[in-house]
Amino acid sequence: MSHDIPLNWFLYFAAASFSIGLMGVLLRRNAVAVLMAIEIMLNAANINLVAFWRYGTPPQGEGPLTGVMVAIFVITIAAAEVAVGIGLILLCYRRWHAADVDRFDSMSG
Amino acid sequence: MSQTLFLAISALGLLAAVGTILARNLVHAALYLVAFFFIVACQFVMLEAEFLAAVQVLIYIGAVAILMLFGIMLTRNVQGDDTTTPASGSTLPALVAGLGLFLVIAFGINNHVGLQDRAAWSATRTRPSIVAEAGREPPPRAGAINAMGKTVGDEMMTRFVLPFEVAGLLLTAALVGAIALAFREGDEETPRRGGMATRASGATEPSGVGNGREVRGSTSPEALTTPSRS
Repeated sequence: MSHDIPLNWFLYFAAASFSIGLMGVLLRRNAVAVLMAIEIMLNAANINLVAFWRYGTPPQGEGPLTGVMVAIFVITIAAAEVAVGIGLILLCYRRWHAADVDRFDSMSG
Repeated sequence: MSQTLFLAISALGLLAAVGTILARNLVHAALYLVAFFFIVACQFVMLEAEFLAAVQVLIYIGAVAILMLFGIMLTRNVQGDDTTTPASGSTLPALVAGLGLFLVIAFGINNHVGLQDRAAWSATRTRPSIVAEAGREPPPRAGAINAMGKTVGDEMMTRFVLPFEVAGLLLTAALVGAIALAFREGDEETPRRGGMATRASGATEPSGVGNGREVRGSTSPEALTTPSRS
């Protein structure tokens, strides 16, 4: 196991993916593209959870699979979020005829 | 060997992520996103969480990406692809925010010192072994990793039963909410005419393109039958 992957590498990959996702959220104007960038960020967080679960030593009384369980719940919530998000985007598209977050500004003063 | 594999897979994943946020065509962006999801599943396999990798492929690639593709399909821009390009004014702040966040996280990863009696996890080079040595009982993780599906089921029913129920409630609410948001075909004609009126009054619409979709829905049967009559 001397050539095992260091924990830091997973963390760096997750940090880079998260930063790219943040850039995507700020950069894109299309609402579906913004949703995709949010998914990238959620996946990066999941990698962190599973990496810490695998590399850490569990304290007493902790379950054997905590990181994976949290990651599964994150996946569940991401799926629900995407379903509602796509519904909202469709609704806004019907009203404003654009899937463009710059044009969803009817609540700005 | 595994380090080389990890570096190759990570480079591909970062390329796919960059392609997702930079691709002009949204369908290409969705395909890059599928590639990124698959790379994340590969990372889960490298972390010995094969069940989670299967869940990732099934839910993210099978459901979320397909939902994204449906969303792209249903919101195809009538103005062309110009709204999918990055906003001109926000490129620099986005780059600064992303790079700044990465630098802050990398600084945190590099400079971590261990809490009171624990070693710093930034010095962790190897994962705890799950190989059972002869004559000793196997490590506590071994059973969970070797039979992850069974362990996930057990944990769902015992330790995580409350989050499990709440997640079920959330999924039900999201399902009902998504249907309630997207469903308004009760009286089909009236809202569509309203939509057509607002669209015709929009100043940014190119002429002749704006009401194409709605008009096509109502007049295409006549247009199809007219040549056969004449």
